[in-house]
Amino acid sequence: MPSVQDRVIAVTARVLQLDPKEIKLEHSFTSDLGAESVQSIELVANFEEEFGIEMDEDAALSVQSVGDAVKFITQVCREQGVDA
Amino acid sequence: MRLILFDRPLAKRWNFYPLALSRPIWELRCGITSLAEKLIARYQPQQTACFLPEYMAAVYRARSGCTVNDPASLAGEDLLLVDARVKAAECPLAAAGPSQVALDADGEVLVARINRGDLAKLKTTGLEELLAAAKAALPAVAEAVPAWNYTWDLVLESPHQITRDFQALGRSGIEGKVEEPSALRGSRGDVYVAPGALVHPMVVIDAENGPVYLDEGSTVHPFTRIEGPCYVGKKSILLGAKCREGNSIGPMCRLGGEIEESVIQGFSNKYHDGFLGHAYVGEWVNLGALTTNSDLKNDYSNVSVVLDGHNAINTGSTKVGSLIGDHTKTSIGTLFNTGACVGAMCLISGTGKPLPKYIPCFSYFLEGVVTKGFGKRALYDTARTAMGRRKQQWTEADEAMWNHIFEITAEARHEAVAKGRRVLAHRQQ
Repeated sequence: MPSVQDRVIAVTARVLQLDPKEIKLEHSFTSDLGAESVQSIELVANFEEEFGIEMDEDAALSVQSVGDAVKFITQVCREQGVDA
Repeated sequence: MRLILFDRPLAKRWNFYPLALSRPIWELRCGITSLAEKLIARYQPQQTACFLPEYMAAVYRARSGCTVNDPASLAGEDLLLVDARVKAAECPLAAAGPSQVALDADGEVLVARINRGDLAKLKTTGLEELLAAAKAALPAVAEAVPAWNYTWDLVLESPHQITRDFQALGRSGIEGKVEEPSALRGSRGDVYVAPGALVHPMVVIDAENGPVYLDEGSTVHPFTRIEGPCYVGKKSILLGAKCREGNSIGPMCRLGGEIEESVIQGFSNKYHDGFLGHAYVGEWVNLGALTTNSDLKNDYSNVSVVLDGHNAINTGSTKVGSLIGDHTKTSIGTLFNTGACVGAMCLISGTGKPLPKYIPCFSYFLEGVVTKGFGKRALYDTARTAMGRRKQQWTEADEAMWNHIFEITAEARHEAVAKGRRVLAHRQQ
């Protein structure tokens, strides 16, 4: 199974229509990857669907970078008993 | 006599979703006044107290100044207890008479008239106990008590009710200012321009088919046409509106475009063009430019409305528009389907197509699906800003009430969000 990091990058690339190879962990979703507000919401929805989790929207939308998203999703998966 | 208005947390309350989520049913408008004002006008009580769902008690107490959910109000007086859904004009019970109850078809008490002497024999520790005791001990009236069953009942009846309320209030003439040239069709006796109301030049007031009542401080801008019956609430502004017959507009609204046979609770905006027909719009709603609702199906069949996300209810009417809950905002170009039920605290982004008929409360409707969006905190911030612009305060009690509404509407929203998530993911694969 691909890692959480690979899956986060794949979802990000799909939603923001980017080449996965261009996405780095330190990239900010908004300033580096150009995510607009509606796309932020789409990212949250797609992460939830990808991992089968429910994320608190305030907490999820406060995540700034790809690396932080990997950490946050890993933690939510653990809390919700989801294998990731 | 003390009038006790009650709005019990029964399943039937949900028939008034989403408007009654944040207010007792008796605060809903029909005609010129609210249901409570009609009941008070009919029964002329010396005192009034009320019972409503506890989660909205603090907000209602602060806004109305009424005695709320106080068991002490159930003792020491002749009482007339009336369910908020009772049609004031058609209730067969008078204010005074022998102690009696009137029940609905399900055996729930709609009205209980209890004289002080009989009250002393009944349990008055709370509303539920008193109603149960009254039902068990007092004779029931034989006649049925007509009641409002759904929000669209109020919308459909409102135009007729405006005419009746106008007659009951007994006011007519120009006490405000009507600037020339303006055109008044019909009888001057069917028009009332209240003190402080201002009608700009180039306005048509057509009272030929029903009265027009412009309440205190309302303003009508040029190129507005108002067809009666119509009520425009205090400090509301019509901006070149095509205000067709049958509108009941609450206080502090800003309205333009085409509006027909609709009820707008108050403090809401529809500044721009776009059609609103046979709709009930809550408070603090903003309808973006060109927001339009359908109120008639192409095949002229009865409109159905989905109030719970699942079950379509046949309204029995071919004309029903949207029900839009408090604090909901729509983007430019939003199109609502016939009989759409749009929850409170929603942020709706139009898609160019008619939207789903049911959108749950606290939805961010984006890209054609319901999402979690930016969460309720961001919606509260917007509500606070919107209210502040009209010198109204978003209080801790408001927040507590809306937190409760967030919880009781969670199931339908979670279902819609999960569905939206699947659609979004599928679309992007």
